[in-house]
Amino acid sequence: MSNEHTVKSYEEELQFLKDSLIKMGSLTESQLSDAMDAVIKVDKDSIDKIIKSDEEINKFRSKIDTQIMNLLVKRAPMAIDLRETISSLKISQDLERIGDLSKSNAKKVKPLPLDLPDELLGNLKRLGELVMKQLNDVLDSYVNKNFDKAKEVWEKDEQVDDLTYIAMKSVIDFLSKDKKNLDFSTHLIFATKNLERAGDHITNIAETVCYLVKGEYLKGSRPKGKVIQE
Amino acid sequence: MSNIKIKSKNLNVYYGDKQALFDVNLDLNEKEVTALIGPSGCGKSTFIRCINRMNDVIDICKVTGNIEMDGMNINDKDLDVVSLRERVGMVFQKPNPFPKSIYDNISYGPKIHGKGETKSELDQIVENSLKKSALWEEVKDRLDEPGTSLSGGQQQRLCIARAISVNPEVILMDEPCSALDPIATAKIEELIDELKKTYTIVIVTHSMAQAVRVSQKTGFFHLGKLIEVGKTEKIFKNPDNKMTQDYITGRFG
Repeated sequence: MSNEHTVKSYEEELQFLKDSLIKMGSLTESQLSDAMDAVIKVDKDSIDKIIKSDEEINKFRSKIDTQIMNLLVKRAPMAIDLRETISSLKISQDLERIGDLSKSNAKKVKPLPLDLPDELLGNLKRLGELVMKQLNDVLDSYVNKNFDKAKEVWEKDEQVDDLTYIAMKSVIDFLSKDKKNLDFSTHLIFATKNLERAGDHITNIAETVCYLVKGEYLKGSRPKGKVIQE
Repeated sequence: MSNIKIKSKNLNVYYGDKQALFDVNLDLNEKEVTALIGPSGCGKSTFIRCINRMNDVIDICKVTGNIEMDGMNINDKDLDVVSLRERVGMVFQKPNPFPKSIYDNISYGPKIHGKGETKSELDQIVENSLKKSALWEEVKDRLDEPGTSLSGGQQQRLCIARAISVNPEVILMDEPCSALDPIATAKIEELIDELKKTYTIVIVTHSMAQAVRVSQKTGFFHLGKLIEVGKTEKIFKNPDNKMTQDYITGRFG
């Protein structure tokens, strides 16, 4: 653990920034999980609540922006403090985008019929659970400054890509059975794609955490699953 | 890869019984700015004073180990210190112009070093030095006024002009901006950027931001030891040593 800053208020400002980011992260987690549940259970009642929670996340983003601007102006942070400050800026951007994608998924619940077959939703559910786990792990790696865990998340994005491919395929198969399914199937395809994109933002966060901890960027290109490769 | 202009090896300095530098190994690259940082009393000024043998004026000071410029042993007791200081100029924390005219402040050095024998040669040196120190436009019509009549920032640039008037190879700057306002500081920093094309520069500074802005290499001293030295960017983004990190982030206790 580092010593504390000579200037106490600087210490407090940095801690306050970290706390804000952790709170924002946990809100993003709940929202992602709620949006997933809403899609899987075709729960139309929860849509408004999820859209509302996105406003909260956006508010956090602007609050964090302000904190970062103040830190840069007042403290001109160096070394680990600089990396902490810049990382918070980047992570909050990715969290906000994940929030947007969850909101978008919640909106896709409206046109879905209530009697969707289990095998169609099963793959989407597995993808959603993996993305949730990824977000949870990456936030853990941020809190504990755990390089190895962040790198693990980064590598695991490959699995997100593969599950996306499988989930997409099951929706398309379903669609091709009956053209009447076209309308809502499109929404499911978008929902699947949104989860994959959320996975990419989580990978960004993992890269940021690695940089935060070691001061070096991860080498090599990102692991890619079948969807991207094909 | 830059050439090494100054090389110190196991350099130790003692003021009487008190050891001020411990086995300092530090290379300064030619035509580059090296910043030396560290808390007061850490030895950074002592180090730069070894480069032009300024420590000679302190009776109780003893220097051991090696310090070389272009392979020449600076500590050689037979070395002509005056000609060393012609090659290694120095600028101090507080601007200290001679109580003479602006012109005389600059022509004094060349005169005693036997440069500029005629008036027109001296005029040329004065003009060139003032141009190089970015002061010419401000003082060209008042060269006979006292150097002390200038503002603090101008006086410091006058001192830099005085240092470069004898055409040195190295310029040592010991906190050259600590007595200046932000604009005057910016002008000196701009000047350092220009001067490094011609001279090897070592700057001692307490301003981390200044070290980042002006230097390519940074050395961190603590209690007489060189704790870490490296590319400035690396030192301020991701230093290897925890002490360096604690110092530059303001955690020293």
